[in-house]
Amino acid sequence: MIAPRRHALALLPAVAVLAGCDKQQNALAPESHQAKSIASLFWWMMGGSWIGLGLIVALLVLAWKRRNRRGIGSDTEGDKPGEKFAWRVVIGLGIVTPIVVIGVIFVIANLFVIKTTEAPAADSTRLTVRVIGHMWWWEVRYPGHPAVTANELHIPVRVPVRLEVQTKDVIHSFWVPRLNRTIDAIPGRTNAIELYADTAGRYRGQCDEFCGLQHAHMAFYVYADPPSVFRRWLAQQSKPVSSPPPKLFTTAGCADCHALRGTSAKADVGPDLTHVGSRSTLAALTIRNTPAELEDWILHNQAIKPGNQMPDITISPAQAHELAVYLEGLK
Amino acid sequence: MTAVPAPRRVAFPAGLWGMLMVIATEGMLLGAFIATYFYLRFKAPVWPPHGDHAPPIATTLILTACLVATSAPMAIASWSAAAGELAKTRLALVIALIVQCGYLAYEFKDFSDELHKSNIVHDQYTSIYYTLLGADHAHVFFGVLLNLWLLGKLVTGLTRYRVRAVQAIAWYWHFVNVLTIVIVGTLLSAHA
Amino acid sequence: MVVVTERLTRLEHQWQARPGVLGWLTTTDHKRIGLLYFWTTLVLFGAGGVEALAMRTQLARPNQHLIGPETYNELFTLHGVTMIFFFIIPMTTGAFGNYLLPLMLGARDMAFPRMNALSFWIFLGSGIFLYVSLAVGDAPNAGWFNYVPLSSRHYDPGHNIDFYCLGVIFNSIASTLTAAQFIVTILKSRAPGMSLNRMPLFCYAMFAAAFGLLFALPTLSADVIFLFLDRNVGTHFFDPAYHGSALLWQHLFWFFGHPEVYILIVPAFGIATSIIPAFTQRKMVAFPLVAIAELLVVFIGFGVWAHHMYATGLPTMTMIFFGAATAMVVIPSTIQVFSWCMSFIMGTARFNTPLLFIAGFIFMFVMGGLTGIMFVAIPFDQQVTDTYFVIAHFHYIIFGAAVFPIFGGLYYWFPKVTGKLPFDRPGQIAFWIIFVGTNLLFFPMHILGLIGMTRREYTYPSGLGWEPYNFAETIGAFITTAGILLLLGNLVYSYFRGVESGPDPWHGPTLEWTVPSPPPDYNFAVIPTVRSAYPNWEPAPPYEWLDRGHQQVESEGVDGVIGDIVGMPHESPWPPLLALTLLGVFAMLVLGKFEIAGIMGIFTLLTLVGWHSKEPQES
Repeated sequence: MIAPRRHALALLPAVAVLAGCDKQQNALAPESHQAKSIASLFWWMMGGSWIGLGLIVALLVLAWKRRNRRGIGSDTEGDKPGEKFAWRVVIGLGIVTPIVVIGVIFVIANLFVIKTTEAPAADSTRLTVRVIGHMWWWEVRYPGHPAVTANELHIPVRVPVRLEVQTKDVIHSFWVPRLNRTIDAIPGRTNAIELYADTAGRYRGQCDEFCGLQHAHMAFYVYADPPSVFRRWLAQQSKPVSSPPPKLFTTAGCADCHALRGTSAKADVGPDLTHVGSRSTLAALTIRNTPAELEDWILHNQAIKPGNQMPDITISPAQAHELAVYLEGLK
Repeated sequence: MTAVPAPRRVAFPAGLWGMLMVIATEGMLLGAFIATYFYLRFKAPVWPPHGDHAPPIATTLILTACLVATSAPMAIASWSAAAGELAKTRLALVIALIVQCGYLAYEFKDFSDELHKSNIVHDQYTSIYYTLLGADHAHVFFGVLLNLWLLGKLVTGLTRYRVRAVQAIAWYWHFVNVLTIVIVGTLLSAHA
Repeated sequence: MVVVTERLTRLEHQWQARPGVLGWLTTTDHKRIGLLYFWTTLVLFGAGGVEALAMRTQLARPNQHLIGPETYNELFTLHGVTMIFFFIIPMTTGAFGNYLLPLMLGARDMAFPRMNALSFWIFLGSGIFLYVSLAVGDAPNAGWFNYVPLSSRHYDPGHNIDFYCLGVIFNSIASTLTAAQFIVTILKSRAPGMSLNRMPLFCYAMFAAAFGLLFALPTLSADVIFLFLDRNVGTHFFDPAYHGSALLWQHLFWFFGHPEVYILIVPAFGIATSIIPAFTQRKMVAFPLVAIAELLVVFIGFGVWAHHMYATGLPTMTMIFFGAATAMVVIPSTIQVFSWCMSFIMGTARFNTPLLFIAGFIFMFVMGGLTGIMFVAIPFDQQVTDTYFVIAHFHYIIFGAAVFPIFGGLYYWFPKVTGKLPFDRPGQIAFWIIFVGTNLLFFPMHILGLIGMTRREYTYPSGLGWEPYNFAETIGAFITTAGILLLLGNLVYSYFRGVESGPDPWHGPTLEWTVPSPPPDYNFAVIPTVRSAYPNWEPAPPYEWLDRGHQQVESEGVDGVIGDIVGMPHESPWPPLLALTLLGVFAMLVLGKFEIAGIMGIFTLLTLVGWHSKEPQES
């Protein structure tokens, strides 16, 4: 469904405002058929709402115009003038009209559009991505491939992908509004939606269920890549680590929480770092992925993302630099 | 100011409405517990889960029947109080109280024995089982306290207030007995 | 005439309140209890407001560090819990309901005056209990709906959530007692002739809310009992590792939580439907429809709870069922909106402060209701759930449909309670400031939600286009605060400098306008009879002087025929004492001292015995 043009005219200020913003997490800049259906639903309902509100405002203004026209106590006893007419308005506008309008919304949204926002059938897509929520980062896996990454997932453009969400701890919610509705990650179960991107690009998402101290800093990117780019990325991510880590990686305690595939570091408490240098951001979009910021993170992450599960690592700046240079090299 | 004569009827007193309110609230609370039992049951692959047992059918039903039977003396107490027969009221209450105390004593022993065998923290089944059963016992216990209080009040005879108290507490017991039937039925459904 | 003054003197003597602080501590007078509720909820409203302003200040700009995540999480949790449990419900039911219900019904007091006092003291105790948690740095911090597993012992090891569980139960005892009180009073204490179809709409609203509270609160209590057991005894109701269910918490919570939101607004509807006839000088359009709609909205509201759970992966059929129920629950509200608007138009509207607030209330309620209708579309709900769009929706409803009528009601009944007329001009100005402020505060939230800002974030990044809306909202919050301060300040000023109002300054429709302002302790010297739902406009001959003792009339359920004359209690120390023992129980529970809590519980039982030691006078 495509947003009707005439709504743009009636709602020009709103559209201008909304379209002018950074589009990254804008539900009204949809890039999939699901998000477009939802946005379309919204535009129609908003149009109807302005009409409804306008009617009520008109009634209140009419009342204001008719104010004080008779004295106190003139209509207070006996039969009420105009009561029959008023009943008809109440029944017509207060019962019949809402039933019709809401009925239409119900049928379109809950019998038709809902089919696109449901979980896709188990074997209906060629690609499955599994996302596991942690406090406060996203683990990303590709079942059938060794690739494991964090806070960033890549999908091929214009290919339906089955996205499964799970959680390691509390309830989180995976929400990338330009592509689809939010879906909760609930302990003890796996939920799924379809991810589909019309256009190549980068889409921002966020955890959409309050999950504790750093819920505000639990965002992620979805990259929709041309299929060949995607295949190359997945192949690269599936490889083990490109060079062995310095001893510091173990002595500083990194290996206690982080995995480097192909080495003895196999812990899964924190994000897998095998290809950390290839990611665009760190700490769930909290900081950029540059050597300087990574160094700062290693030494002072509690100041950057207070309460996050990684402690400030007590090593010297030179040692932090050594680690950062190594990790940035893991493309 | 002219007085307008109005017909007087025997009213359903506010105190009894108050007891109805108590029954509504407590019924809803225990209803939520029961709904939880079935929610957990239908989410579980096996019920009772491995290592857990449903309560024994025979003893449970016999005990429940004893408790539910006390609705009879409670009803008799209520009617006798309304008819002004103090001795009959006291007798009926004492009979009810003896059975209720006996029930409670047995259940306390049984409850703590079972807890020793199968800890409440074992799994979701034991969590809801002991909570639901414990809630029922707590309501029986409170009813026993009410009956004791009532007998204490009746030492100095019947008044309109005390008649209403007997009626209200009789209703409380009817509620507790129905509740016990429903809860026992819920817990025994694990055999199905 | 001499006989009349003699009888009045005798009545005054029989009903005279005990003087001093002790009189207030032991009062069972519904008017005094209503005032106690009023002052307490006003303070708690201030606390909730400060919490909101603190959050808005932190969010005025991106990436601010004025308030850290720990404090912020406590702030938004406390804000929700305070406003819902400690402001709206006790203000509308405890303050307005308590003060006005007997007066509107033609009664001298509630059905259970001592229990009424108990409700207040328990409410006060629960408020102190909750805010002690803030003072000791352990305030609840997992949101007002407190989802598991975040609120389990494993992820929230401190006392925070124990304060939540126990505080909510403690508070719900007060509300349950109030609900029972209202239902029995409405059924038993109506003036002779007040059959149910002649009962004011305010009373219908209170009845509906009471019914809702009675049947919704126990589910919340069950939920927090299970959580308390999980946290403190080690049970596994909610722990999937032991086959418990995290969604169980949500089902039980929202089974309470959705009726709760109707309970929040329905008493305010009662206030609105009292002001509208008075300030349009016309009987309410479609009175029977409005009365039934008030009851229906709560009743149907029990069937919609899972629409708060559309993102959790429920089966589609389940969601569609709840979507249908949600669609149905809209209709009683649209009925009422058009009845109100037509009453405005068909009557002669006088846009003094009270009616201005009701006009504002209609506007805001419709705004919030329209976004509510949008949520009937499940996929749209799934897109914007847990974003600022939802925050916009429920604040338009709560602030618009509950707080605006409260403000209007303050001005409407101010003369009745104080005997002084409020100055109208400052009230009108305050209305406009508040109206502009709240729209500036809440409207941009719709946009923020649509462009991606989620709920419960202590800060947000720049570059997503969220900055101007957040900044505007913070300005709106401060404008609203200024308006509220003007509103309340004007009332204080009017109290000291206002003109005498007399018993009936507005030519109001209901019985409270037939007694002096402020009402005497006994409310009605002569028990009135009633032949219309608007008894001050269509009076009936009174029933009789009732001055043989501290007594009131008890009536029959449906048609208001007299049943009995009952003796009423004087001041009593038992209610505050009982509340104190309960405070002891809950304090010991939160400290984990379960045995001592049990001992305090024995004190509670002993107090109950003492309470019932003196029996009422037989007539």
